[in-house]
Amino acid sequence: MPRFYHDDPAWSDVEPIAQDDGGPNPLAAIAYTDEYSEAMGYLRAVMANNEYSERVLSLTEHIITMNPAHYTVWLYRARALEQTDTSLADEIAWLNPTALMHLKNYQIWHHRQTIIDRLGSPDGEADFIATMLGQDSKNYHVWSYRQWLVKRFGIFDDKELAWTESMIEEDVRNNSAWNHRWFLVVGGRGGQGVSEDIVKREIEYAQTAIRKAPQNESPWNYLRGIIRHAKLPTSTVKSFILAFADLEKPDEVYSSHALDLLADIYIEENKKDKAMKVLDLLANKYDPIRAHYWNYRKGLLEETGAVG
Amino acid sequence: MASSQAPSSRSGEITSPGNRVEQISDSDFEEELNGTAMLDNAEYLSRITPPLRDMLETGTSQVQDETLEAILPFLEGNPNDFDLNSQGIPKLQRKKHVAFLERALGYYPPQFAAMDAARPWLLYWTLQGLTALGEDVSQYQERVADNFSAAQHPMGGYGGGHGQLPHLAATYAAVLSLVIVGGTEAYDSINRKSMWQYLGQMKQLDGGFTMSPGGEEDIRGAFCAVVILSLLNLPLDLPPDSPARAHGLSSFMDNLGDWVSRCQTFEGGISAAPGNEAHGAYAFCGLGCLSVMGPPQETLNKYLDMPLLIHWLSSRQCSPEGGYNGRTNKLVDGCYSHWVGSCWALVEAAAGKKGLWNRNALGRYILSAAQFKKGGLLDKPGKRPDAYHTCYNLAGLSAVQRIYIFDEGRQRGVGNGDLVAPFHWKEDGLYDGDKVWDNDDVVDRVHPVFVVPWGKAEDCRLYFERKECL
Repeated sequence: MPRFYHDDPAWSDVEPIAQDDGGPNPLAAIAYTDEYSEAMGYLRAVMANNEYSERVLSLTEHIITMNPAHYTVWLYRARALEQTDTSLADEIAWLNPTALMHLKNYQIWHHRQTIIDRLGSPDGEADFIATMLGQDSKNYHVWSYRQWLVKRFGIFDDKELAWTESMIEEDVRNNSAWNHRWFLVVGGRGGQGVSEDIVKREIEYAQTAIRKAPQNESPWNYLRGIIRHAKLPTSTVKSFILAFADLEKPDEVYSSHALDLLADIYIEENKKDKAMKVLDLLANKYDPIRAHYWNYRKGLLEETGAVG
Repeated sequence: MASSQAPSSRSGEITSPGNRVEQISDSDFEEELNGTAMLDNAEYLSRITPPLRDMLETGTSQVQDETLEAILPFLEGNPNDFDLNSQGIPKLQRKKHVAFLERALGYYPPQFAAMDAARPWLLYWTLQGLTALGEDVSQYQERVADNFSAAQHPMGGYGGGHGQLPHLAATYAAVLSLVIVGGTEAYDSINRKSMWQYLGQMKQLDGGFTMSPGGEEDIRGAFCAVVILSLLNLPLDLPPDSPARAHGLSSFMDNLGDWVSRCQTFEGGISAAPGNEAHGAYAFCGLGCLSVMGPPQETLNKYLDMPLLIHWLSSRQCSPEGGYNGRTNKLVDGCYSHWVGSCWALVEAAAGKKGLWNRNALGRYILSAAQFKKGGLLDKPGKRPDAYHTCYNLAGLSAVQRIYIFDEGRQRGVGNGDLVAPFHWKEDGLYDGDKVWDNDDVVDRVHPVFVVPWGKAEDCRLYFERKECL
């Protein structure tokens, strides 16, 4: 049933402000339904009066059900929640099904963040996020929200790490899960050093994942990141890499990413000729779409005049 | 260790390493690669497809396989029955795309209410797309000015429409739309003083910008803010009532480069905000922000690990599709033709080198797979075209076809004020290597940082340089 306000006594004191699409001949104008158009007219009116009340909350809820992508309505609702004595737990309970219905919606997540921030507790959030990711496992907003949550409540614990591992276990190519692991282990900790034991653990973790699918870019990026972060030479993982790509066996390469790191190792070891051969293999055989990039890398190497 | 065997499918035939290695020896491959424009499509695909492929099936590999299955017919043949150019690739369907975009400026039925807050974007994408196709949009000057006068907020900046709260994304789209149509009426409709004050409300202590009052802080905010400051020639001093000023900041530029730097991730790409995942659209925002702040060779090299960034950008090109994805292990999408493709001009300026990327493969994807039969461009075959994908595929095509270089001289005599770096770009002609497009398929020049038609940013900046005060 459409809902209208003009004959509702609770709203008789409000004069709606009509839509103005801009000039007599507006571009890209939308033929709104009467219901939407009227509700927006009342919203403009209450916003002009800075009214924050129960009825404003109900009005914003009504508009959100018609158009959840309307940032103004969400921002105004957040302010109204602050100004009225509304239960934040009720707000979250209302948000849950709304978020599930609109997976790609930007606004819902920021709104949720402001509410949870004020509630001061992350209880139940992890489960809800897991439900969302069950529908859309790489949703950028959901993962970003999870990172905020971890940071806000200091949840850098084993349980969070185990959950992240379960996400990687489910799909070892889910790069969002890899990024979250990085956030937990390194990135979110505000520049704190990572102990030798943890570096070792992370290298092994990435290597185990690589063995499952050697052409999977995510764990290779992770491995490279950990090595760099720990300021280790790439040759730390040389024997591992040689199992996937060895210049002695150029027809038996199992991963272009291994070749990529092998080139780094030879550059580190000042073996320019070998590095050039590896980059040639990438450009000409194993990763031809990026031939320009590999040739650019060769060009840089030629400039350095390293000993072959 | 599992060897990399492909399943028996169409993609399998061309991804099988055995086929590839038998077909061509290493020595002649490079030569043939350089001559790929001359190959027929099946031959091209067999050579560009990576020979390695893992057996392990996961959710990611399943949707990747389905996507490739949907795209391959468009790379191999011509299911849309488009006229082909001299390279056997579909011609740019200029007239159809113009008609599509003109329709996008018309009325929308009620089910488009979700676009209520995004009308500034609809106008920007459409106007920018039309100009890339060579259309004159000055006829829309008055209507665009009227539109945004209704959406301008009393506290400064623009909302999605009348009575909506100001938002930096809407404000960016509004300013760019006004810049594209140009003219005194459009320029004068912008309240620069309240804009300056509004931007002052968005500036955060850590250097970044929020998108709206009480809204999220992300790298779109940083990019949109500096673009607006530069185009409108606004003072870099924070307004007196800016909350950031109370925390000791005095300039819009304070801590900004460092904040962008914190958005570079361990993968090398750039994320929405520190800690999030590297993403193509945010990469362009980050590089664009730094390229407004100063010459790319200074700012990009100062604030970013460039070798890592270049590695990541390069890895976004999907193979054999040729188009870009936005994140590691995600699907190709025509919008990244711009978000990633247009990063290259900025990166090459910073690196002082050319030829880092595969223009032809991206050009192929746009012309063969991203044009919709009835007009408009799209994410990938099977999706519907829209103004967003039309605008950004065309901007990406411009990046593919034209050489944009950072030059010592300033364009159109832009003065010595703040944030003049983006007025140093010049177009150094068309890409002159082997190419899969003909001159008829070439789109117009697009400014590599502002993403507006050539000369329009300078017109606007010069207009406001002549203004005595805000």
